[in-house]
Amino acid sequence: MMDNKTFIIAGIIVALLIGVVAVFMASGDPDGLESTALVVQGQKDLTGATPEDAEIEEDLSGKFSYSAPMPDYSLGDAMGQPGGIVAIVIGTILAFIVVLGIAYGLKAAGKTAEQNQ
Amino acid sequence: MHIPDAFIPIWQGAIYWIIALVFIALALRWARNEMNEEKLPLVAVLAAGIFALQSFNLPVSMGTSGHLVGGALAAIILGSPFAAIFILTLVLIVQAVLFGDGGITTLGANIINMGVIGGFVGYYTFKGLMDITRSMPVSVFFAAWLACLIPSLACAVEMFLAGTFPLMEGLVAMGIYHAIIGVIEGFVTVAAIYLITAARPDLVDTNVNTPAGA
Repeated sequence: MMDNKTFIIAGIIVALLIGVVAVFMASGDPDGLESTALVVQGQKDLTGATPEDAEIEEDLSGKFSYSAPMPDYSLGDAMGQPGGIVAIVIGTILAFIVVLGIAYGLKAAGKTAEQNQ
Repeated sequence: MHIPDAFIPIWQGAIYWIIALVFIALALRWARNEMNEEKLPLVAVLAAGIFALQSFNLPVSMGTSGHLVGGALAAIILGSPFAAIFILTLVLIVQAVLFGDGGITTLGANIINMGVIGGFVGYYTFKGLMDITRSMPVSVFFAAWLACLIPSLACAVEMFLAGTFPLMEGLVAMGIYHAIIGVIEGFVTVAAIYLITAARPDLVDTNVNTPAGA
């Protein structure tokens, strides 16, 4: 059986491989929610292909707007696929660190609270 | 099914945020009290894996693509729907803040759909089917499939309330697309559970290997 260290390293390597392959292989078709938006806006048939020029119309009145630093998992068109790999690697490692950090912090805080009782 | 900011008015987003915060508080309490410290590596590796898998859109025909959400995976393998809420909340925050995948005002709704509904539907469908079929892969597959489909229908209702989709058209299209995307959810979830069980059976919730009550 793998020890913790091996499991974590193997797990992160598998995650990074999936993410990097996704940069090259992932489908560019709209996802289920985007497709539904195109269907209700009359730009796409329910079961048909998505037209090349289909674009979701967004009514921004009364809505919030935010510009992410790495929109669409990329560093911009100029950076191309290498930029996409950087974005995915950052995201994957950050997801790992954030979850581990908060989980560890909660456990540590829980222990301190127990000792003080 | 990450809802962007443009799809929900701010005031409705705020309501979903308030509901989501209640579940996030419960998930944090689960992490502090119930989560076994030895499972920390699995919880963190799952977060990395779910993030990566969510970026991998596979074509599902009809001009549409989809990817694993991971709510059922997290809930089943860690033995609690709150595990799914804990992991999905943090993954969704990273996606929204850094990559603009899903909005900020709509993050509450996305956490409710994929974390809360996905986690609860996935976990309890798995438990129920496991009692009946005693088959891990069959139970996991259908639990994961439903944990993709039901949140998409909830999302369609939210889109109707937001005035973004008509009710029936939204339900039909979201349902059809996610019934197919759910097949990806099913296969990937079964494969991930086999893989993790092979590597570290001690970290996987006992319900996965032994039917409840057996």
